[in-house]
Formats: sequence, C-alpha cells, structure tokens
Amino acid sequence: MTTKLEENVVTRRQFLVRSAATAAGTFMSIALPSALASGTAQAAMGEGMAAYQPAIWFTITPDGKTTMHILKAEMGQHIGTAMAQIIAEELEVKWADVRLDTPLESVENFAIYGLAYTVNSGSITTEFDRIARAGAAGRMALIEAGAKVLGANAADCYAEDSRVIDKVSGRSIGYGEILQKVRIDRKFAYPDDLKAIKLKEFGTYKIIGKSVPALDIPAKTNGQAKFGMDVFLPGMVYGALVVPRTRYASKVLSIDESEAKKIPGFIKAVKIDDAMGKCTGWVVALADKFPTAVKASKVLKLKVDPGPYGKLSLNDIMEEFSELQKNSEASAAWVKEGDVDKGFAESDKVLDLEYTSDMVCHATMEPINATVHQAADGAWHVYTGTQSTSFARMTLSAYLSKVLKKKPEDIKVFVHQYVLGGGFGGKQDYDDILAAAYCSKEIGKPVKLIHTRETQFATSFPRTPTYHKLKAGIKDGELLAMNHDIVCGWMGPRFSVGKKYGTDWLQLDSWDEKKQDIDQWSIGGSDHWYDVKNQRVRAWNSDRTTWAVQASALRTVSNSYNMFVVESFMDEVAHAAGRDPLEFRLAMLNGKGSSRGIPNTGFPPGTPSDYYMDRLWISLPWPQEGTWIPYESATVGGALRLANCLRVAAGKAGWGAKKLPPNTGMGLAVSSAEERQSPTWVAGVAEVTVDPATGKYTINKVTIAMDMGMTINPTGAKAQIQGAALWGASQVMSERLTYKNGAIEQSNFHEYTPIRLAQTPEIDVEIIQTGRHPSGVGEPSSTVVAPAVANAIYNAVGVRVRHMPITAEAILEGLKKKA
Amino acid sequence: MPNLTINGQSFFADAPPDTPLLWVIREDLRLTGTKFGCGMGLCGACTVHLDGHAVRSCMVKLSEVEGVSITTIEGLDPANAHPVQQAWVALQVPQCGYCQSGQIMQAAALLAVNPSPNDAEIVEAMNGNLCRCATYPRIVGAVKRAAELAKKGA
Repeated sequence: MTTKLEENVVTRRQFLVRSAATAAGTFMSIALPSALASGTAQAAMGEGMAAYQPAIWFTITPDGKTTMHILKAEMGQHIGTAMAQIIAEELEVKWADVRLDTPLESVENFAIYGLAYTVNSGSITTEFDRIARAGAAGRMALIEAGAKVLGANAADCYAEDSRVIDKVSGRSIGYGEILQKVRIDRKFAYPDDLKAIKLKEFGTYKIIGKSVPALDIPAKTNGQAKFGMDVFLPGMVYGALVVPRTRYASKVLSIDESEAKKIPGFIKAVKIDDAMGKCTGWVVALADKFPTAVKASKVLKLKVDPGPYGKLSLNDIMEEFSELQKNSEASAAWVKEGDVDKGFAESDKVLDLEYTSDMVCHATMEPINATVHQAADGAWHVYTGTQSTSFARMTLSAYLSKVLKKKPEDIKVFVHQYVLGGGFGGKQDYDDILAAAYCSKEIGKPVKLIHTRETQFATSFPRTPTYHKLKAGIKDGELLAMNHDIVCGWMGPRFSVGKKYGTDWLQLDSWDEKKQDIDQWSIGGSDHWYDVKNQRVRAWNSDRTTWAVQASALRTVSNSYNMFVVESFMDEVAHAAGRDPLEFRLAMLNGKGSSRGIPNTGFPPGTPSDYYMDRLWISLPWPQEGTWIPYESATVGGALRLANCLRVAAGKAGWGAKKLPPNTGMGLAVSSAEERQSPTWVAGVAEVTVDPATGKYTINKVTIAMDMGMTINPTGAKAQIQGAALWGASQVMSERLTYKNGAIEQSNFHEYTPIRLAQTPEIDVEIIQTGRHPSGVGEPSSTVVAPAVANAIYNAVGVRVRHMPITAEAILEGLKKKA
Repeated sequence: MPNLTINGQSFFADAPPDTPLLWVIREDLRLTGTKFGCGMGLCGACTVHLDGHAVRSCMVKLSEVEGVSITTIEGLDPANAHPVQQAWVALQVPQCGYCQSGQIMQAAALLAVNPSPNDAEIVEAMNGNLCRCATYPRIVGAVKRAAELAKKGA
C-alpha cells in the first residue's frame, strides 16, 4: 500500500476535489490541504481511498444531499446557515438539499480543519473568501465530471440546483448521479489555481443575501436542539460546585463532609487539582442526581485560605487605577500621531475629563456545564458547548498531563461540540471541563458538572473595570489634539498573551520605541476612525486586577467601554467647540489621515507598514507562507463609510428635525467594532426621556444604520443587530457586577438584571449594502447604544454622566449640581 | 414519590419529594427541552404547563404535582406545529435558543386564556422570561402572529 499512500498524500500545494467509495457509499468531498503537514495527511489516511476522509468544507453524497461541515460554534448567530449559503452559492447546490454538521475536535481533525475558535465577530470576515473558493472549486470539478458523463464539452456546461446542464444538448445530470457514475479526482494547485477562480460578484447572487430560514431554528422551537447540558452518558454522576470563597487564588485547606454524608445519593466531595492555576479553591460535590449534588455542596464545611485577593474590593481597584495613570513612564503607547503636547499648547480651549466603567459579565442563559469521561481505550471525551473546541482539547490535554504526570501527546482528548446557550465571549475558558475531568478521574465514571446560577456568577469572567483620563485641545472650533489614557486589567495575560507570559501569540508591541507588550483586546476601539492630526492613546495594565477578577472578553471586548468613552468625549468636545455633534463628527470622518481605510485588496503579512497597516494582519485567517490568497480588506473606504452610516441613522431618527417631548433628547454615536482591522461600520441614535424628579430615564427608540459590506442573510443579520443593540442598552441601563473581599457580589438575576421585554425600546435597523467584503454583525451595534444614550441624556437635561452604567442616582446628582 | 402525568404519559418519579420538578423532567425523564437557567423562578427558561398554566418548574416540588397534568415543550403539539411554534419559526425568533422553550410555553399559556392580547398584555405575560440574546422585538411580533394563526385554526 505504500505506493498508493504516497500517491494520495496531499501536498501543501494541492487542493483536492475527490470522490471515494466507502462502506457508506460514494461521496464527494473537498479538501483544503494547506493546513496539512504531510505527516498528518498520512495519519489521516487508512487503507487507501476507502478510508480517506478529507472532507473539510462539505461532502456531497449520491442521494444529492450536501452536508456543510461547520467549524464555527453555533451560539445564536446562525453561523452555520450563513456559511452554508456562501458555499452553496458557488457550488450551485440546491438549498433544500443542504445539511449541517460539526466536526469532532481531535488532534487528527485539528490537523485537517485548523483551529476551531469562534470569536471577534470574525467568522464571515475571515472565512468568506476561502469557503466561496472551495464551493467554486467543487462546482468546477462537478461540471467537468458531469460533462464527461453527458458526453459534452465542459465549456458548454453550467451548474444549477445541484445539476450539471449541457447548453448545447439541453441534457442534464444531477450531482448525486454524477458521483455514482464517475470518480472525481481533480487537483487544484494551491494557491495559484484557487486564486485564479473568478468568484461571483455582488449583485449576481442567488442565495447570498437571501433570508433563507436558519437551519438551526426549528429544533430550537420544539425542545430538540441539543445543548451541552442535554448530554447523558451511561453511568454518569453529577457534580455541583461549592461557591468558592474568592473569585481567584483561594486555597481549600480541609473539607468536612459529615453533613453531606447524611444525604442519600451523595458520593463524595472532590477538591479540584488547580495544577494550571485554574479552578482555584474549587470543591465539587458529586452525587447520583444534580439536586442532590447541589444540596450536598451547600452543607460541605470548608476551611479556606482566601489567598492574596481575600481583602481586595472594587474601590481598591479603582484607586489603584488612578494612581497607575499618574506614572507616564509605565504606560505603553497604542496610538501616537502628530505632536499631542504641541497641539495642546496651541489650543485655545482644553478639556480634562475622567471616565470610568464598571464590570459586567456574560450571564449566558445556559449556565456553563461539561460532561467528561475517560473511555475504555484511555481517550478522554468532553461533551460541551464551547467557543473553542480546539482550545478546550489543548487545555485539557495540558492539564491532564500535569495531573497524571504524562506527556501531553500521550493524552488523547476528543471534544464533542453542542449548541451553545449563549456565548458572548463567555465560553472560551475551560475550568469546568478540567474540573469535570478531574472528578471523573477520581471516581472512574462520567461526570456531568453543571454550574448553578450562583456558582456561575461567582466564577464568571467579567469585563474589567476601567479608568480613563482624556484631554482635548480645541482650536478655532476644531479638535486639534487628544490624549486618551486607559487603565484596566488586561485580559491577555490570562490567555498567555504577551512576551512576559512566554508567548507572542496575538501579542502586539506598543507603538513607540519601548516595544512593550500591549493587549489590543483591552485597548482596541480607542484607535477610532476620526481624522485627528495629533492624538495619543496610552495604556496601563493592572496585573492584579486581571487575575483577581479574572478579566475577560465580553461581546465587542474593549470596544464596549472605549466606544462609550470616545463617543461621549467627542460629544463633549463638539458642545465645547460650539458645534453640532453630527456636523462635528462628519467633518472628521473624512477618509483622510487616521480615518482612511486600507486601499488595496490584499496585504501580505509582514509587509512593512505604518501604524494602521501594521494592525491589519491580526484580523486575517492566520495566513501561512505560500498559501496566501488576498481578499478585499473590510477597511476599504475607511471612515467615509462610517460617515454614510451616521447620515442614514441621523436622518432616519429625525436628528435636528423631529419634535421631541419635554426632557427628551437624541444622542449620536458611531463605532467600528470589533477591531480596527475588521470594522463593521455602524452608527446609532438614541432617543431618551429623563424624569427630572427621579433621574430615571427611558430609552424610547434606538436607530441603527450599519454597513457590513454585504449581508449574507438579512433576516439573521437584523436579529443580530437588534439583539446586540439591546445588549448595549442593557449594559448602560441595568447591568453592574461588583467585587468585595475578593468575591463577586451578585448571585442571581434578582441582583444582576439584564434587560427584559418591558424595558425594550423600539429599534429601527437600516442595513446599507455597499457590496464590499462582508464583516461581522454579531457585536458591533452593541457599542453605539451606551454613548448614544449618554449623549441623549445630556441633550435632554444637560447632565453629563461619565460612568457606565448610567444610573438614575448619577443623573439626579447631576441635576442637583446644575440647579 | 408520586406518579406523574407528563405529555399524557404516566411516569414514576424515583426522586425525593422535595426535588424540583425541573430536574425530574430534564435529567430523570430526559425531556431536555425544558431548561435550567436560575433555579429561583427569575428567568423562565424552565417554564412548563401545569393543568394549562405556565409555571416555573424549578420552583415546584415533586410532591406538589401528583394528579396534575404536566405539559413540556415536547408535548405542546404532537406535530411540533402549535401556532406559537409556527410563528416562532416564521418570524425566526430564536438566536441561541436556550430560553425559547420557556418563552414558547409562556406564550402558549397566554394565548390559551387571551386569544387576542394587545402589546401591554404581551409584555406583562412575557416579562418574566429572560432572553440574553434579547430576541424581544421578535417575541412580541411572534405572539401576535401566533394569535392570528390560532384564529385561522392553523
């Protein structure tokens, strides 16, 4: 078989469309072997073709059904449907024949599919081009094979509705039938042949841009959708966590099980080994049923060393932030344009402003859970809904290697992906998986670990609190110079990002001679799209905060606070300069200087560049040398597209025109979340009424205008835009997480109160189709609501609140000061 | 340890009498469409019908439901085509979907007693059901659509 194997080895330079006979019948699949090292390609092969499973993007079976293999996590964005639409468009497959599945995460599949990680509103931006090309390559191979069967010239044939049709004879053949009659073995040189494929153009699409019903929705209306918590394994037991004494770094000294032992069904208490610095202070009660485990978890008596953060509270954190900011030497420059100090010196008016924001958390409706067991062959199986099955696998392997004192490569882990009951950035940590695995190891049975809402809050991964100091220099009514200082707990270190933590993975250097680590996920958004000649952003990390609260990524990450600050600030400057906030913004969103986009349609990584170009690569799909196919940057057009959105939103909302009731105002904001490299252009207008007697306010209406290039599925996109806008409304109105003596204070939805139906404002969404490269819609609109509300409150009653969330008390205090 | 009637079928619940009904339904009987969200009756993800009324199953003890007819999302309609389910699909309401069984059960119970709810009545009935994806605008629209479908006898 050696010769045959060698023939079949996929090289990095080939892209295969192949059909093969298996026990299950003939199928055609498509492989993008760029991710395959030759060694792993061999490993993926068994006995010649019959066992070869190269299917990476989709598989067509002889019954004509096409299964799209979706690596991205389904957490409400209907990403599988959107990705399938893109492939189906080029593959010319009949939509009714499309199915979805999710690859199993394993070492072998990782070598084929690459990293399974769903974050950053990046799935469509980064995947569109290559999955469209994969679909097109599949269509070309099918046309060639179909022509052969029909005895026609391939050049005379075209594909439509899963059929190849000969224009000359009018005869046609279905994709399924082609697979039954001929063997397809078509090689595309990679990347050159793929690069040469001419993709369809915006305006000619049949499935892209259509609101086909999302394929995951029916199962979500009848109880059939399977979430992680819906897994059952033979012989499994349940685990319930004891609420840990602190969020992080406490130590359990002893456990008294005597009361728990009186509960029938209680098995034992397990102190989780925190070998990776995770699951600190975790004790899990195991029982035959979950309510029993919960009951037992509440009567276990622990002796605990609260650790280094046992007396730390939010006030201490905020005091540290303002102290840190006083030491310029310790800052890292994120943006440095022109001469800020000279600009301030030349200004005729200077504003000094201080902003802060509180912690919030994901509070997904599905509490985090994981079911883990070790099979008879020694392999570990994880069943959960996670934003990264790949990192889940790697983290568990690393953890078990420490716990079991084995080499990581000797520990085989499979991760079975389930539907996520909400993600929002909150399902990219794996503590629960480690704990379930440890419990399973301890008792030799499968363990389903479920967080109660109380343990979920206690172990949540909040957005960091933040402190901002801003300075504006205004000259002749223009913003001549601005400085933005940001102090917070960077999340990067928790994900081992940065030189200091032994890896450069996703790490950027500060934009100055010091080249320090800078965590873009904690600072991004401050590099706004306004053309300001002299500007500087400086960042400070409070490492203590990072670890003490376990700072993490929450929907739009740092944009959620930085957009609140930047857009409130711009409004303040406009008012101080005597300018209309709309006109003031439009003048600076001019497509020049720091507001320009990347003009080209491909930017190979590593090309010398300026500040803005340098930060482009990070949005791209992890390009590898020799496999680079350029596609249009989402930044094309720059801030001119943002200006366009702002005009549309302001116009639709009736900015400056609509007759408003008393104590009612409108506020504007723009945003390019998520990252500067992968912007989705969005503008929002909030209309808010304030009750001057109480300071309470109502968001009457939110108007959103968004340019995401092109929309894959308008109904789905609109749902995301509405939902994200309400997420933003929730953050400014009613979400606040606090921290005292090392622990998070909120425990359930009576204390942490996300937006409900009764608080939901009218939302008007306008999608602007510009036919550009598509970018993500799951997050961006959430960032404009908070600042738009702040600006509307100012316009309603003249009170500026420089803290998020905006409380009635803060408004009332402002009204009293004013009076 | 009572015998339960769920979706017209009889079950013997082998669990302590103070066990919340939710856990019997979803973990013991594996009717997993009913979801756990908060355990305090604050979010509505676990909503089921007890004799037709929408109730938070996390707040009901097993000992309280003997002789009560319990309906879960799986038993709402034999063809999964209750007007509320049809409307939910037609208006593409669910995003992550986790709270939607509860939303649908809540809406179905509302329409059973008020076939033509106005906006305020919909808000009042549905306000206890939390949706972190904030599908609220579509929920209101879908309840109205379901009311129309029910009248047409769909």
